[in-house]
Parts: sequence; C-alpha cells; structure tokens
Amino acid sequence: MNFNVAAYIVYGILTVFMIVVVGRMFYRNGRVFILGLMRDDAATTDQLNHLLLVTYYLFNIGYAFVKLRFWQKVGNLEMLVSSIANNMSVLIFILASTHYMNMLLIWFLSRSKKSLTNKSFQS
Amino acid sequence: MNHSYTVIAYLIYLPIALLLTTYVATTLFRNGLVFMRDIFFGREDIAKATNSLFKIGFYLLNLGFALYILQISDALNGTQRIIEVLSSKIGGFSIYLGVMLFFNLFLFFRGKKVSRQKHDERLALQNLATPAK
Repeated sequence: MNFNVAAYIVYGILTVFMIVVVGRMFYRNGRVFILGLMRDDAATTDQLNHLLLVTYYLFNIGYAFVKLRFWQKVGNLEMLVSSIANNMSVLIFILASTHYMNMLLIWFLSRSKKSLTNKSFQS
Repeated sequence: MNHSYTVIAYLIYLPIALLLTTYVATTLFRNGLVFMRDIFFGREDIAKATNSLFKIGFYLLNLGFALYILQISDALNGTQRIIEVLSSKIGGFSIYLGVMLFFNLFLFFRGKKVSRQKHDERLALQNLATPAK
C-alpha cells in the first residue's frame, strides 16, 4: 500500500464522517425555519427537510470522491498530512460558503413572507 | 530528517489550532444565545436553531482556514526554525480568529438593533390601530 492509498482512506473516512455529522446538524436546526416558511405544515416540512438532507449528502459526498481523481502524487508522510489538509479545507470552505448563503436565503425569504402576511393582515 | 521535523510541526500545529477554534467558538456562542433570545423575542426554538447554525458556520469557516494554511513549504532544519514557523502560523491564525470573533459580534449587535427597531414599529402600529379615547 503506497502513500496515495493511505491518503485516500484517511480522507474518505474523515470527509464522510464530517459531512454526515454536519448534515445531521443542519437537518435538526433547519426544521424550524422550513416550518416557518411552510406555515406550520408539519408533514410537508418533514418531507422537504428529508429530501434536502439526501440531496446534500449526494452532492457533497459525490464531490468529495470526485476530488480523488485530481489528487497530487503523495511521496511521504509530510505530503500525506498536507495534501489531506489541503483537500479537506477546500471542501470545508465550500460547505461554509453554501451554509452562509443558505442562511442569507432563509433571512430574505422570511423577510418577504413577513411583509406579505402583514399586507394581507392589514387589508 | 527534514520530513520528520515538518511532520512534528504539523502534529503540534493541528491540536493547537483545533483547540483554539473550539475555545473561541464555545465562548462566543455561549454568550450568543443571550443575543439570540433578545433578537427573536423569547421564541426559544428559533433562537437556539439560529445560534447553532451560526456556530456550525463559524466552525466550518475557521477549521477550513486552519487546514488551508497548514502546509509548511520551506525546509525545517532545526528546533529554532520549527518554533519560528509555528509561532508565525499560530499567531496569524489567532489574529484571524479575533477578526472573525469581532465580525460575529458585529452581526449580533446589528441583529439586536434591527429587531428592536422592528419591535418599536410594531408597537407604534398597534398604538395607531387601537382607537384613542
């Protein structure tokens, strides 16, 4: 077993673990917001939340494994650590930026919904 | 021999960066819950969810950055170089953490201000709606 295979195994375990843990956190904490956007329709909310979780898994785990295709040649222990850190950091940055964009999206959606309900309430 | 020095430097850097991030995140978001309760006016579930979403974002961004700057490309040929390289790396990382901490605090204060304005507007609307005697 050469260093590349070792890097793939460590990277695969770490990223899949991280994506699953983070995804479950999003699933738990995002439910309240979807419930608010769906106007307290619990059944639709749970279905939509579950679908979103599965899509998230597919995209991120898929991309994590696509990155194996473009892995640099690993010659020693030092390069093993640094290449795993480098590839994981790109993945984590993507997760972080998507997460912040989703929070912005939730914020905008909830704001527009609030103004809509206020209008219908007043008229 | 060079390689083993670099690996030692990585093994020192990684736990320090992880612990520093965890410490800053726990301190910030233990106090962040108070802000969130203020912002969302006692809606406990939304306050908690928002706080933990912000916490996840903070962890992701900072751990990503910590891993991104991990690579040491120049050859380390002694204990002195290890200490110098590591201290500049960890010092830079903690300055970055401080900037992120202030940014999150700024967001919290801004949210508090906006929500208070909205609350005042709503109160004013209610006062308008109820006929004055």
